[in-house]
Amino acid sequence: MRSSGYKRFVWWLVASVAVMCVPFLTDNGFMLKILAKDVGTNALVVLGLALLFGYGGQVSLGHAAFIGIGAYTSALVTMRFELPWLAGVAAAALVSAAGGALLALPSLRLRGHYLAMATLGFGEIMHIVFREATPLTGGFDGLRGIPSVAIGGFVFKSPESIYWLVWGIVLVALLLAYNVVALRPGRAMRALHGSELGSQACGVDTVRVKVQVFVVSAALAGIAGSLYAHVARFISPEIFTLHRSVILLSMAVLGGTSSLAGPIVAAVGLSILKYVDSFVPGMPDAASTFLQDWELDIYGLTIIVVMLFAPGGIGGAFRSLRQRFRKKAAPDPEGEGVSAA
Amino acid sequence: MSLLAVHEVTKRFGGLTAVDSVSFDVHEGEIKALIGPNGAGKSTLFNVLTAYERPDEGRVEFDGKSLVGMKPHRIVALGVARTFQNTQLFEAMTALENVLVGLHTRSRAGLLSAALYLPWTLIEEKRLREEAMRLLRLLGLEDHAETPAADLPHGLRRLLEIARALATGPRLMLLDEPAAGLNTTETQALANALFRVRDNGVTLVVVEHDMGLVMEVSDEIVVLNEGRKIAEGPPRLIQKDPAVIEAYLGEPVDD
Ligand SMILES: Nc1ncnc2c1ncn2[C@@H]1O[C@H](COP(=O)(O)OP(=O)(O)OP(=O)(O)O)[C@@H](O)[C@H]1O
Ligand SMILES: [Mg+2]
Repeated sequence: MRSSGYKRFVWWLVASVAVMCVPFLTDNGFMLKILAKDVGTNALVVLGLALLFGYGGQVSLGHAAFIGIGAYTSALVTMRFELPWLAGVAAAALVSAAGGALLALPSLRLRGHYLAMATLGFGEIMHIVFREATPLTGGFDGLRGIPSVAIGGFVFKSPESIYWLVWGIVLVALLLAYNVVALRPGRAMRALHGSELGSQACGVDTVRVKVQVFVVSAALAGIAGSLYAHVARFISPEIFTLHRSVILLSMAVLGGTSSLAGPIVAAVGLSILKYVDSFVPGMPDAASTFLQDWELDIYGLTIIVVMLFAPGGIGGAFRSLRQRFRKKAAPDPEGEGVSAA
Repeated sequence: MSLLAVHEVTKRFGGLTAVDSVSFDVHEGEIKALIGPNGAGKSTLFNVLTAYERPDEGRVEFDGKSLVGMKPHRIVALGVARTFQNTQLFEAMTALENVLVGLHTRSRAGLLSAALYLPWTLIEEKRLREEAMRLLRLLGLEDHAETPAADLPHGLRRLLEIARALATGPRLMLLDEPAAGLNTTETQALANALFRVRDNGVTLVVVEHDMGLVMEVSDEIVVLNEGRKIAEGPPRLIQKDPAVIEAYLGEPVDD
């Protein structure tokens, strides 16, 4: 108990080193770029959704819109105003966060399916805005020639540097989120999830907590959008669709409630599926086309199977593994030398 | 001066007057019982007192401050805590974590300070855990600290909700049917817990159907029937009150 913060940090450090070492294991630049641009940015969005859904118990089917808001904001700030990327990503986070505060409003009155419908509506409206606000967004054609990420004089051009940048941000966000959920604000989120009446009776300002989780998760999606825009260097409305929102939420569901690592693992696993041919060398064409054609069905099936056999999702499975391990490792209660542990 | 003053409170639901011009005072340090047949308006009155419902008429003052129109969580910060007839525990969280949420208003760590794991947030967390364990011990729940609320037996769930309410640091605590579903041993443990809570300086208002418990713990009783107050006084007198006997006649006293 007293060292749980320390243990968590060690786990994070080990996982971080492993993740950051990936570029040393391969020289497949195409794959590294996918791991950053598609897998890493999804992981960042799903981290926010894990807080929103898995901790706060609020549902959103509109999160692709926040990625879009972040992507377009960042692209415009860097292209029109010729400001550096850091200004772009800050603006992306802020504008998306403002959108998150806006989307929190229906959550104050609506729950469950009704909230899902309202957030879906928000996503669809934003999708239309991306398509129709042609002077700003380039309409159907989107925006091309978005500058690469650059900090100071350093331009993130090589696949390795891009990978390290994106995953560095994901890992730092993960650490911060771990801290949040371990302490008072995270407990307030879980309390909101457990019982709204009960949390009010504990003095928790439920309105404030709801706005907070929406704002934080939207800001993370905004940052992911900025990263995507400046790595892909091209964005269009079709990247920020309801389809994307549904997949992101299902990653959070599959990852499990009250877990951060679970949703991230789910995000990585499901995001990779689409690019499986570039990850598994020598995979027969037929197999990879099959996986790609049936991508959505495989997502759906995975989720049904996991929810049937492991209702706690991946995070729940981690927890029960840890418990089983602890029971085995725990010294016999009658035994001596317990204090040495 | 009374700690809680309820003045001519009326609450209607459409054509139904659930609480009808009810007035009474609660004095510091007492245990007051609120009794009445099913549907008398007891829970509705609790909801009005804790701002979950807004009264159509009347005033509610706690320590001289009006509570009407406030948000429920603000009332907790003022020092009024409550439990619910249908327990509102955080089922997926452990007993300890439930009580830690109860300490919400008595701690400060916010999103940013927690995310950065500032040293003071860790000191605060340590203090909170010690205080939560103290409260679990006070209610005899220390062996269940790591048990998820959902896995606790019914009797302990009621006690946990009291521990959580106590964690908010209340001066006044409103308990809605704390003995519902408890057996005799559990009810006796509850009675002892209520005395311990009172001795910790907390004033209590208890809605209860278990007359044995009511007679044992309460200093004063308020009787509601069909939304109206029909009697108020010490247990000995209430037992003999003709209006009270009539209200309960023909009504199953036990539900
Ligand atoms: N939200 C509501 N809307 C409409 N009617 C309500 C509402 N809440 C309570 N009532 C009605 O008000 C009356 C008083 O209900 P209340 O729950 O306060 O009674 P009670 O004294 O707590 O009863 P019990 O002992 O069964 O808990 C009942 O007739 C009930 O049906
Ligand atoms: Mg009731």
